[in-house]
Amino acid sequence: MSHYIARRLILNAVVIWLVATLVFIAVRALPGDYAQQQAGARMELTDQRQAVNQLRKDLGLDKPLWRQYITFMASLSHASLGRSYETHRTTWRELGDRLPYTLELGTSILIVAFAISMPVGIISAVRQDSWADYILRTFSILAVATPVFFSAVILLFIVLRLHLWTIDLISHPHLWTQPAAALKLYAIPAFAGGIAGGAGIMRLLRSQLLEVLRQDYVRTAFAKGLQERTVILRHALKNAMIPIVTILGLAIADIISGQIILENMFNIHGVGQYLLSRLLVRDFPPFEGTVILTASVVVMMNLIVDIVYAWMDPRIRLA
Amino acid sequence: MANLETVAPSAGTIDAWKKSAAFSTLRSRIVRFIRQRKLGAFGVGLVLLIVCIALASPLIQRYDDNRAFAQPNPQFNPNANPIQVAQNPSLSSPTIVSRYQSPSAAHWFGTDGYGRDIYARVIAGARAAIFIGIGASIFAVALGTAIGIISGYFSGITDLVVQRFVDAMRAFPGLVLLLLIVQVKKDAPLWLTVLALGILGWATAVRIVRSVVLTTARLPYVEAARAYGASDLRIMRSHILPNVMAPVIVIFSIGIGGYILAEAGLSFLGLGPQGTTTWGKMVSAGRQALDLHPWEALFSGGAITLTVLGFNLAGDAIRDELDPRLRQR
Repeated sequence: MSHYIARRLILNAVVIWLVATLVFIAVRALPGDYAQQQAGARMELTDQRQAVNQLRKDLGLDKPLWRQYITFMASLSHASLGRSYETHRTTWRELGDRLPYTLELGTSILIVAFAISMPVGIISAVRQDSWADYILRTFSILAVATPVFFSAVILLFIVLRLHLWTIDLISHPHLWTQPAAALKLYAIPAFAGGIAGGAGIMRLLRSQLLEVLRQDYVRTAFAKGLQERTVILRHALKNAMIPIVTILGLAIADIISGQIILENMFNIHGVGQYLLSRLLVRDFPPFEGTVILTASVVVMMNLIVDIVYAWMDPRIRLA
Repeated sequence: MANLETVAPSAGTIDAWKKSAAFSTLRSRIVRFIRQRKLGAFGVGLVLLIVCIALASPLIQRYDDNRAFAQPNPQFNPNANPIQVAQNPSLSSPTIVSRYQSPSAAHWFGTDGYGRDIYARVIAGARAAIFIGIGASIFAVALGTAIGIISGYFSGITDLVVQRFVDAMRAFPGLVLLLLIVQVKKDAPLWLTVLALGILGWATAVRIVRSVVLTTARLPYVEAARAYGASDLRIMRSHILPNVMAPVIVIFSIGIGGYILAEAGLSFLGLGPQGTTTWGKMVSAGRQALDLHPWEALFSGGAITLTVLGFNLAGDAIRDELDPRLRQR
């Protein structure tokens, strides 16, 4: 096992280095840079080129590409994610400010997804091919096909038309400081994201549960006279949940990346919105730093998920 | 002699094809597909409907999708002096733009904030969506299959390096890769979006193709082919490629829905193809007037949902038909 982990860790390091290099190149291949956007916009035409060049020199953007790359790699090697061109704060600081919002949204989505998908999946599997099963499966197929922003728009429409509550996009309440206000803001994106994610989980849970319910040990449990509820909750569910645990791990990685679309729609100052805004103003260091951090989390979560999966299911042998 | 002709039609004609064994097995397969997989057949029907709409769009659009409609202004007074105009601005223009009209006989889905017919825009959006979805899937599958075959066939260092690239691309958060590629040009043209989506998707194709190639390349007849001197290229083309075609078709059909969704998300953020009417753009614009005029957002969003639904159902049925092992991905 330790052999496997060591090998995976080395491969992970290579992958993260590749991600860093790719994002470094990709971001400098885009037209325009920060100096051009900022200095050029504020000065008069005659001073423009001088101002842009001066700013470029200050930011170190005029150095040859390989020089910039070496500086970039050097700072990365001592865990520095760069410093924003715009605010001059370190990326760690900026992310620290924004992570709570992303975590709020992400966990809300996860809670809604599991709260919807678990009962629906269980009912659908236990009452296979009944009317309930068909209706629930239809809803889940529709949910997968609906884009996340459209579900949010539909929910928004319902809230607006029925005057359920007013949505405040300006103050940014936290769930732990102003729970009522925060719930009003997070409810719609949480449900929109939760429906989309929950549909996938529901279908997986249903197929897994169907497989498990056919097993002999389940028939034995029924033959012993146990109630259906006991059999499902105590025996079947544990085994059916195994692949869902892996989804949970990947979902956590997804949460950290932030939901770019939903955060943008509801003006939530999270990691996703930060990525988007930094890309649009060509503020390289925070963008690169955030992408590298997110990729590292994803890659590590994949490793953890594989290990947990192997631990939970003794039939699995790690390659 | 005349009787022989009716019994045995001349080869190479449509009649010959219709009586051949291949046709009857194909027809029975299709009929069985429709009977057994009703949901999939419904999906295929939906897809065909939308593709026909997209192809016939210039005919059924009714109006140009960028035309702003205006009605004559009853308050127009060409002889008004500047003071009167300052008090009542609507005196000065001969027409009023028909903004935010509800669905009517003239405008089946109503009009949007610029006075454009929503129905025409939805039909035009179908054209863009089908082109993007199918184009991106073809590109991703072609690229992914080529690289997957090479990576799986040659193994060793090539495989290791290629797999690290695949892992790196999968580690990128969500839309970020898409956003990066799409911004390479100032106003993204349509083909750039297709290219970006294809680059996003080739990683999935590579993984599946590679796993099939890994098993196929070890089979005895491949080794035999190598023994009698067949070149690597020939082996890959004649022996490996046919075995890969079934999963490739599945990946192609299942992927289309995902690409349409991804492009819709991109357009919704405002970073989609400029100058083309896309559904994502319409949902974003429709969101502004949602409480009083939901038609734009609802019809365009519904169009996205229906299209993706059709492709998903069809893709699932094709997968169940051709290669059920891919269920667990």
